[in-house]
Amino acid sequence: MAGTISLQPPIQARSVERAYAETASIPWYIWCCVVSVLSAVVGSAWDISWHETVGRDTFWTPAHMLIYLSGVLAGIACGYLILSTTFQKDSRLRDVSVSMWGFRGPLGAFICAWGAVAMIAAGPFDNWWHNSYGLDVKILSPPHVLLALGMIGIRFGTLVLVLAEMNRAEGAYYRKLERMLFLAVVFLMGLTVGIMQEMTNRVLMHGARFYLVMMIVAPIWIATVAWVSKNRWAATIMTAMWMAIHLAFVWILPLFPAVPKLGPVYQNVTHLVPPDFPMLLIVPAIVFDLLRRQTAMWSRWKQAAALGAAFLVSFVAVQWPFADFLLSPESRNRIFQTTNYPYFIPSTSPWVRNVFIHTDHTPGAFWLRMAIALVAAILMVRLGMSWGEWMRRIRR
Amino acid sequence: MKKDFQRRLLIAAVILLGAAIPVLAHVGSPDVFYEGDAGPYHLFVTVRMPQVIPGVAEIQVRCESGGVNSVQIVPLRLSGLGSNFPPTPDLAKVSKDDPQFFTGSLWLMESGALQVRVMVDGAKGKGELSVPVASFAQRTFPMDKPLAGLMVVMLLVLGIGVISIAGAGAREASLERGEVPGPSNARRAKIVMVVTIILVAGLLYLGKSWWALEDSDYQGRVNFYKPPTAETTLENGNRLVIRARGQNPKWSDRINMGEVVPDHNHLMHLFLIELPGMNRMWHLHPTLLKGGAFADDLPTMPAGHYQVFADVVDSRGFPWTLVGTVDLPEINGKPLSGDDSSWSGEALASAPGKDNTVSQLADGGRMIWERGPGPLKANTAMDFKFSVQDKDGKPVQDLEPYMGMAGHAEFVDSDLSVFAHVHPAGSVPMASLEMAQAGLMGDASSMQSGMAMAPAPGSMPAEVSFPYGFPKAGDYRIFVQVKRAGKVETGVFDAQVQ
Repeated sequence: MAGTISLQPPIQARSVERAYAETASIPWYIWCCVVSVLSAVVGSAWDISWHETVGRDTFWTPAHMLIYLSGVLAGIACGYLILSTTFQKDSRLRDVSVSMWGFRGPLGAFICAWGAVAMIAAGPFDNWWHNSYGLDVKILSPPHVLLALGMIGIRFGTLVLVLAEMNRAEGAYYRKLERMLFLAVVFLMGLTVGIMQEMTNRVLMHGARFYLVMMIVAPIWIATVAWVSKNRWAATIMTAMWMAIHLAFVWILPLFPAVPKLGPVYQNVTHLVPPDFPMLLIVPAIVFDLLRRQTAMWSRWKQAAALGAAFLVSFVAVQWPFADFLLSPESRNRIFQTTNYPYFIPSTSPWVRNVFIHTDHTPGAFWLRMAIALVAAILMVRLGMSWGEWMRRIRR
Repeated sequence: MKKDFQRRLLIAAVILLGAAIPVLAHVGSPDVFYEGDAGPYHLFVTVRMPQVIPGVAEIQVRCESGGVNSVQIVPLRLSGLGSNFPPTPDLAKVSKDDPQFFTGSLWLMESGALQVRVMVDGAKGKGELSVPVASFAQRTFPMDKPLAGLMVVMLLVLGIGVISIAGAGAREASLERGEVPGPSNARRAKIVMVVTIILVAGLLYLGKSWWALEDSDYQGRVNFYKPPTAETTLENGNRLVIRARGQNPKWSDRINMGEVVPDHNHLMHLFLIELPGMNRMWHLHPTLLKGGAFADDLPTMPAGHYQVFADVVDSRGFPWTLVGTVDLPEINGKPLSGDDSSWSGEALASAPGKDNTVSQLADGGRMIWERGPGPLKANTAMDFKFSVQDKDGKPVQDLEPYMGMAGHAEFVDSDLSVFAHVHPAGSVPMASLEMAQAGLMGDASSMQSGMAMAPAPGSMPAEVSFPYGFPKAGDYRIFVQVKRAGKVETGVFDAQVQ
């Protein structure tokens, strides 16, 4: 690398590293961070379902405990990792670490620790907010955004931890870490897609705004994982994992009985309300993986244009008719779970009446938005490609 | 984060910031005290309202007739959409010391006219009643210095932290094992850190703006529920016209004073109290004019500076008290008629030990406050009992309903920050109570009968009681009004509350 003073390890050390790579298992701190993120993912889904079903809560609900466990676990694990890397002179990570404020550690550990501190800081802030502005039943408040930033920090830090280890690894160890990479990207895509859910309800799926929103939040992760991974089916595998986790919530949450504790109650709710059936992102992901091989020799922008357009067209092709199905009586079963509504949704709502909300008032507005969605898809794919390439260079 | 924010925002409804003094549902007296029957059980219900909405109300239920095994409580809207769809009720906890005393907590999610439904089960079967409550945010709590200091430190750690992480990442993240960053790495790190500083500053600015917006929105909602100003004008020498002006500009758009509902026979109960000293008081009943103004042809009154409290109940069952002052010239007006009444006497005693428990009545009789020993404590639910004697010291036999009830009491703090118009059923407006009762679903035998509408003349006891609790310490004047032999008698008591 230009401008750096290269101190290459001796050949013997490289051989040792290669042997380590063949036999090594996933480091404990990556497991800790993945479990931490998983805890927040489950906690968040549970908490949202809780608010849609029961309505009110306390700090001590199991869902809240899982969310805060995420911060505590990541904070302790990464704090220990940073301290041990800093003060243990023979630490394996010492010469693959970055320095900050006199401490040494993997870059991802610092990011995770930052996320944990943000989550902890959000606690007293949120408590004061409740006292001043009322018990929140809304997600978008400043302390909640601080909490969400902390959660994003831990997810991104986990991704960077995995990337640094993976980009130094070879063989079987690389493949193990690659699976962790898919999981880390799934968590990030789940977060961004989830945040937009007020605009992705099934009754909005015949409007261009829905597709515009999805092109802003989904293709970037598809492209990122495809470019950072060496797996030819990276986008497909990652998206399949996202759907599997989402489906698990769709099918498991309704197994738990619960009743509303706030009124007015407009729906007869007897169990935890699950999230909506996942969008069929798997189809555009498959198209993406197939097409990127065919276009591998193209220029980056030309390839991004082809992949972005293909992503949008294939997504519209499957999701549009699938939305018809989700609003039809045939979907009202345990597989698709389209009869579960939060207790506070009146029966007059289009959601309950199974009618589409048309967000585009004229055909011109529809096509203009779809054109913007196409541009967004191309830009996001291009951004994901660059980001993926940058991620491949992370070593520490 | 899997679900739809807006759906949840729907139930959030209102979030607000605020004022220093609790207000409304009367003035400065937000807690609700109610006494009535849930079928065969006589209950005293206290609802301690939260300072912020959404917030948690504390409910206390005491059964004074015994035999109650369990009490369930649930909040719901008083009227309109949603008032018939209660959530699963909560089981109130029974006191260890008193098996007929039950407590519970309820989340009140929205501002406006709500009700707390109380369902009782016991030896005499089931019974239920509903207590209307005026739900509104009263104030906000400023961040205290230790917490503010902690937040600033955390903000600095997080802000500097993210800048440092970005720099460390740009400088070293791409280096191979053991490689030492060179000058170009350091230069790139500096550029990245400068960009990050700009981004962090931008985010902090956006966050601060957002917070200010939330705060402003909350404050607007707090102001919405502050007592409207009673704007008064005097026409033709004795005609007092009253118009309401909300503390929030949107108030007039949402609250139609032309659609207020009758509250024990009248659309407005106007109290004019002479200041200082509260040594004169008029209880009048203006009529509604077109456009939502109220007018009353005043009775003969001396010139003076008067405090105005005017009670109305809007079409949703939410009570409003208009507050203001008016300087009046000497009025040569009409004689008192109908339900209008007045009182004059000594000024409020503010010196220690000047509390009185006996009040001389205009007809020669007297009214006695059975207050019991010991000091009066703020935030304590009590039954204020008053007995009425004739000029010979015997309990009167000729009390009759005054506007449909055994009596009316007004509790007024000397600094005018508290005004409560209370009836034998408690601090709830009768109009709101009628709406609450209309929504009960049980059979007739289990229904509420607690409006304390007085029995027929001649059969009324010589005693009247009012469930209430002083909201704060201070010097109070209590006006107690009963009707005897066709004439309204007013007893006045001063009380120091600790």
